[in-house]
Amino acid sequence: MEVNRYYRPSTLEEAHQTLLQDPKNVLLGGGLWIKKSTPSANVLVDLTAIGLNQIRDLGDRIEVGAMVTQRDFELNPLVRDIDGGILSGAVGQIMGVAFRQLATIGGSIAGRFPFSDVLTPLSALDVTLIFYPHKEISLAEHLNFKGRSSDILTHVIIKKAHGRGYFKKVKTTAMEFAILNIAITLDEGRYRIAIGSRPSAASLAVGAMEIVNEAKKPSISDFERASEKAVEEFLYATTTFAGADYRKALAKAYVRRGLEEVSKR
Amino acid sequence: MKVQFVLNNRHVAFEVDPGEYLADTLRANHVTSVKKACDESACGACTVLLDGRPVLSCSLLTARVEGRSVTTVEAIQDEVDKISDYFGEEGADQCGFCNTGLALTIYALKRELVNPTDEDIKKFVVGNLCRCSGYQAQFKAIKHYLEDSR
Repeated sequence: MEVNRYYRPSTLEEAHQTLLQDPKNVLLGGGLWIKKSTPSANVLVDLTAIGLNQIRDLGDRIEVGAMVTQRDFELNPLVRDIDGGILSGAVGQIMGVAFRQLATIGGSIAGRFPFSDVLTPLSALDVTLIFYPHKEISLAEHLNFKGRSSDILTHVIIKKAHGRGYFKKVKTTAMEFAILNIAITLDEGRYRIAIGSRPSAASLAVGAMEIVNEAKKPSISDFERASEKAVEEFLYATTTFAGADYRKALAKAYVRRGLEEVSKR
Repeated sequence: MKVQFVLNNRHVAFEVDPGEYLADTLRANHVTSVKKACDESACGACTVLLDGRPVLSCSLLTARVEGRSVTTVEAIQDEVDKISDYFGEEGADQCGFCNTGLALTIYALKRELVNPTDEDIKKFVVGNLCRCSGYQAQFKAIKHYLEDSR
């Protein structure tokens, strides 16, 4: 990687000012994807000295620093406690331990990677993102944002949830990207269904959610209808990993199974 | 730029490019037990321990290692010899290219997990690919090594 200068600021203001100085100054998260995505940079701005590597209990929410590694996130008791461990289970399936020891939660979110196994389960939860200097937006807003920004993601706020969770990553081998990933949560009687790697990034299956949330006590046939809706409401595409029809069949089967699973336990 | 860190219990200082990765720095400085294979975070051959925890040195900028501790198999030779013996007994080796990275991951597993289940072991070492063995013999070797190390 061609880099003119490596810079490790001690404050967010220093980091932000450096990013504003030159569009070729690049923020460094976990550093795993930048090798492929950014062959050259003027200044690499490393956030490791700013103290964004903590997970804090805020009472009804948890605050995750953007530089918390996937491995520390996966093992954290507060994270493991959310909806039966849906986040820990999902993140624990990403590549190997040595990969997750470097990859950060902030990098996974900021990158908006379509194949992400972080974004899909987070989309099925109540999540707010804090950016420096002054921005607080939902995860969905962030995923729908198409422009370029110099704002720095500093914290991820996740509402604690003690309901049930389901995560399914369909893959050919342990080290592959997901062909499709599905997260379903049931909190206080409300279902949330997120589908990612379609191959687009995670989105809520709003139509499918309406079907199960409007039924007072959803039946197996409601789950079946919701799974069909989840297929209809998105564009599923063909890639070298999987065909569109295969992805649709997977979505239908796993949405139904996931809904059954979270409703039974 | 100059980067200083502890390499195998010894203070070192290397002159590196700002965009240089640790695997390249180590190999350029004769630590050739660190292997480069995929060079894109996908195979585990370049695994080293950073402050005792396994990381992929092909994807870790050397600049980020400033002030930290890096361990390769040279520093834990006795333990690596034991692991090798178990691998030999199970016929878990062929070309050996992935062994050094895998040995460090196994060493980290032993230190991190108490009484791991078969599933725990598989999940921990899944990032270390081997193109020769088929994994079953490796798994048996790791399991026996961990059982006998208790």
